[in-house]
Amino acid sequence: MATATLSETKPKRTKKLKVSHTVSFLSALPWIGPALFLIILVVIWPVIILVRTSFTDISLAGSLLDFNGIQNYRDLIGNMDLYPVLRRTFFWVFGIVFFTIALSLPLAQLINQNFPGRRFVRWALIFPWAASVVMTSMIWSWILDAYSGELNLTLTQLGLITEPVDWIGNPSTSFLFLMWVAIFVSIPFTTFVLLAGLQSIPNDIVEAASVDGASSWQIYRKIKFPLLRNSLLIATIINLINVFNSFPIIWVMTKGGPGYDTDTTITFAYKLAFIEGNMGQSTSLGVLNFVLILIVVGFYLKATKATRTEV
Amino acid sequence: MKKLINRSVAVAASFALAAGALVAAAPAQANTVTIKVMTPNYTPLMPAYYADLNKRFEAANPGIKVEHENLEWSDLVVKARTLVATKSYPDILNHNAFAEYAAEGLLHKASDLFTDKALSDFATAFRDNSKYNGVEYAVPDLASSRMFFINKALFYGAGNTKIPTTWAEVTAASKKIKAKYGSRVYPLGIPLGQEEAQAEFQIWAGGNGGRYFDEKTSKWVINSAANVQTLNQLKAWTKAGYTQPNPASTNRTDVFRLFAQGKVAMLNASNFFPSDLKTIYKSKVDYGVAPFPTAKAGTKAITLGVQDYYMAFKKTGNQDAVSKWLNFLFEPKNYAAFLKATGGFIPATKSASTEVDSTLLPYIEQLDNAIFYPGTLGSWGPVNAKIQTQIGGGITKDAKTVLDAIQKAAVAAGVK
Repeated sequence: MATATLSETKPKRTKKLKVSHTVSFLSALPWIGPALFLIILVVIWPVIILVRTSFTDISLAGSLLDFNGIQNYRDLIGNMDLYPVLRRTFFWVFGIVFFTIALSLPLAQLINQNFPGRRFVRWALIFPWAASVVMTSMIWSWILDAYSGELNLTLTQLGLITEPVDWIGNPSTSFLFLMWVAIFVSIPFTTFVLLAGLQSIPNDIVEAASVDGASSWQIYRKIKFPLLRNSLLIATIINLINVFNSFPIIWVMTKGGPGYDTDTTITFAYKLAFIEGNMGQSTSLGVLNFVLILIVVGFYLKATKATRTEV
Repeated sequence: MKKLINRSVAVAASFALAAGALVAAAPAQANTVTIKVMTPNYTPLMPAYYADLNKRFEAANPGIKVEHENLEWSDLVVKARTLVATKSYPDILNHNAFAEYAAEGLLHKASDLFTDKALSDFATAFRDNSKYNGVEYAVPDLASSRMFFINKALFYGAGNTKIPTTWAEVTAASKKIKAKYGSRVYPLGIPLGQEEAQAEFQIWAGGNGGRYFDEKTSKWVINSAANVQTLNQLKAWTKAGYTQPNPASTNRTDVFRLFAQGKVAMLNASNFFPSDLKTIYKSKVDYGVAPFPTAKAGTKAITLGVQDYYMAFKKTGNQDAVSKWLNFLFEPKNYAAFLKATGGFIPATKSASTEVDSTLLPYIEQLDNAIFYPGTLGSWGPVNAKIQTQIGGGITKDAKTVLDAIQKAAVAAGVK
């Protein structure tokens, strides 16, 4: 019986909703129109062009030679250099986001405490965020330079190494250093998002817990951390997208080299197009990057929806 | 009401004024041509040279404006390719490759920019290297050849008596240098980083009979046995600790700096290196030069000849202006100053060759045994880029695999 009424009312309701949706969309159009137009122009249109281009044969000079179906995708899949790059991109994205969050959590906790010089620490923490990423990367590549870098100089003077170590020249260490720089520039944003989350936790809950005899670890574990969930989620997702699309750090420090040993899919796509003049494979990789990012964004939408219903 | 009329009169008047200004401005604009010139920074003296040249050029040619951009080599390569791919061509480009642009039909013919008489002053061999399908699309601006440099103090100080002429002698000399100075000195500088890997590899491979391209059969031969053997030799020297660490990520300028600091004992360098040592690195290293070592005794030493090009992109209405600018640059006085600013290159014109510095003579003699890149192929640009980024990988990975991969890309790029 109950199911019958449900199935009876359901179509009616959706129909009503549909009508009101169209009406409300039309009445809203004058307001959202300009934004919509902008989105179509700068987001949707380039995507259409990108996808279309990936099915064409394009010369070095950018002249369209012919449509060649899925040949570009075939070439890309047949390019054996792609697979190590994909693997590395995976490590790059998840490694950096994981360590960024892991380091930002205690940092946010620290600068949420009241201590003399807190304002100074907060400013210092903002610095890598305020400075241009290109600048930060250059400074790090100078620090890590094999022959005149500060790190080798210090290590030599401390007697820890006898001959210079080429930190960013050697692919086995350089990628870790690139990741470190990416973590370094991601920490400020993440920390401040988490700090905002910490500050939104009402004080009375914490006080009540401590009156009840909870230790500070218990308060953090059982009260603060669960309440940080939202900001943690936002920080994670935004970092995922940022780090995936990150280009300047790798380009400034190693140009993805030697060979493709420190490339991610983003620098690899750039290299294919503008160094090797391989437009076809590069555009198909562009589409692949777009799909990967869509998957990440899908996670984002799903995750935020989940929290919205819960809160 | 009166107020309103006044206002509309004022508006009308301002419109009329603006229109008048537009009409007045229009003819002046039509007369001015702006040309974009993009050049590599051969030395730190180049910006000052071009600033002076462009100032005098603009004064002599009212109606032509020059927008000049001087870039480091690695930036120039990327920027030129990006600009061309996005169809925002420079008007004039000074670069190490021209054929890929000629193949796309983007360049003015040299004969449309220079008179026959002016063209005949360029050295014939360099003119031949500037042809695509038999037509000149560029003019040479200068050339270089290379020799084997040694730091005399380090080299002889380690007990060596004779500059190596074969790979075996290079090994022996390196061993002595390493034994004497330990980790303070790298016996051999081998830069296989992106900046100039193609040159470093070619000059070693050339001494073993290896090439990138076989002119006779018109085929890419990048993974030839001679080339594999060469890459394995470079790998062996690296493994033995005779080179600086990580040749695959070391650029030419890095080893130049190390040589200038007295930390590298032997390396391959061009005719402009002595001037760089003096003016850029302020180095007092006492160096010796000799023909490049070959794989085995008895083979004739080779050198790598490199020439760069000036080319002009076809754009509506720019032919006259780019022709004037290029001819102005090659006026004897201006060209002499150009050569001076670039610091010790081999001149590209016959007239300038008569008065070269005597220190350049050995390099010019070497040109008879020079290997040139297959620069007249339209596919050389992308193949060269692939070599530059990939060949250094052979130091840590399997040499044959690395060369096979480059060969495959070269074959795919074709011979056109």
